[in-house]
Amino acid sequence: MSNFLFLFRGGDATWTEQTPEEMQAHMQKWGAWMGGLKEKEQLVDGLPLAKSGNVVHKSGEVITDGPFAEGAEVVGGYLIVSADNQKDAIEISKGCPIFEHDGNVEVREIMSMNM
Amino acid sequence: MEETKNEQLVEHVFRHGYGKIVSFLVHKFGPTHLERIEDAVQEALLKAMQVWGYETPPKNPTSWLLRVANNHLIDTLRRDKKVVQSYDASIFNTERSAQEEVCLNESINDSQLKMIFACCHPSLSQEYQIVLSLKLIGGFGNREIAMALFKKEETIAKSFTRAKKRLKAHVKTLDIPLELALRSRLAIVLKIIYLLFSEGYSTSFGETLIKKDICLEAIRLALLLSQNKYSNQPEVHALLALMCLHTARFEARVDQKGNMVDLEHQDRSLYNQDLIKIGIHHLEKAAVDSEPSNYHLQAAISYYHCTAGNFEKTDWKSILRLYKLQLSKQYSPIVQLNSIVPYYKIHGAQKALGVLHDFEKSDYFLKNALFYGIKSTLLLDLNLTKESKLALQMAISLTTNTKEKLYLSEKLKTMG
Repeated sequence: MSNFLFLFRGGDATWTEQTPEEMQAHMQKWGAWMGGLKEKEQLVDGLPLAKSGNVVHKSGEVITDGPFAEGAEVVGGYLIVSADNQKDAIEISKGCPIFEHDGNVEVREIMSMNM
Repeated sequence: MEETKNEQLVEHVFRHGYGKIVSFLVHKFGPTHLERIEDAVQEALLKAMQVWGYETPPKNPTSWLLRVANNHLIDTLRRDKKVVQSYDASIFNTERSAQEEVCLNESINDSQLKMIFACCHPSLSQEYQIVLSLKLIGGFGNREIAMALFKKEETIAKSFTRAKKRLKAHVKTLDIPLELALRSRLAIVLKIIYLLFSEGYSTSFGETLIKKDICLEAIRLALLLSQNKYSNQPEVHALLALMCLHTARFEARVDQKGNMVDLEHQDRSLYNQDLIKIGIHHLEKAAVDSEPSNYHLQAAISYYHCTAGNFEKTDWKSILRLYKLQLSKQYSPIVQLNSIVPYYKIHGAQKALGVLHDFEKSDYFLKNALFYGIKSTLLLDLNLTKESKLALQMAISLTTNTKEKLYLSEKLKTMG
């Protein structure tokens, strides 16, 4: 068993055109998906991230408004999921509702100290 | 850790929240800031969508959304260097006693009520009044309204933009009109609620699920009116009764294939008994000493249909009397035409056909599908199959409603 970091990008481009009803429906899918992971004890941690941020360069001499060229590259949130291997982690990510709105999930294994 | 899963969030909490918060903020900051307010509420919903998926949704989602939208609005107003009126910040505290919660709810209801009167302002056209009510109070999206009203999404969007402009030009603050003005404004408000309801109830076109939501929204608006001491008038209860008694039959009107089922063949076990009870309750509360409104009479007709064990057992005499009352108040060809059905049930097909024959003098009826539909039924009852089929064919060619066309064509087929 290893832990995997899921980074969610994009998927919000069309949100402003959604009706309140559709937004609620989409939100509930996220809740249901994460609830499912929690139930199977695969969910370790996770939080949403604010849209804007800064990137600090050279000990703070240069601070920019984030590395994001466009909205689709903004990381909107992360999860830490426990899975057997990369392949399983990818399998889990396939159920993510982010794909409904053209977003993507980056799946990265978190390295363990006992290698 | 066990918690309220967010699947348990109340249905339509976003949609209703949208309407509630827009009204609340427009009441507080004035209609001038309508667009900014809409953006702020949209922003709050977006934030909720991002955050609530990860965490337990708040116990009172509406006040959470209200707080976020309010903060966002104040930020944009400051940024745009608009004067921010002082307001009572205590309602936005996260920790609220139960009593404060009640106050906030009352305040939201009060602003929604005022918003209804604003959206039904006499300077606005009926089209604008409907679209404003659906968007700003109901929280429906352009797409949903377009689907329900069978219009293009852009058409709804354009109409909404124009309606907002007019609203802002004519309504400076949200108020409930007083006394005499209230009576005449209430009449418009009730008419708009009735129209909203009719749009939702008609089977002619549109997405059924959303249409039912529109019916329920119309009921909700009328309930809000009935809860306010000034607008709590007998007509409000009459309209509520009418809408509940109609909605009780909502599911029975179409079969599983989505085809129309007429009153005679409806499965009456599908009638929603709870709604019938609520309808009767409001009908009782609507009692007046004299001059029942049209809503009263229509509600009473609906009452007889809802409570009849089957089609044949319907109290046709009472229904005919109600139609006659309606006609004596104000003549309407469509009411007159509808009154033929109870007349036929009481006096038989031959006599009814005689009455119908008199109608043929009017051009109105010669272009009316229902006229030929009824005529066909009467002729069939008299075993005049050939004539009946001819009338039915006329009805089919005259109706623009595709579901009705299909229903009538099926009927024609069964006649062989």
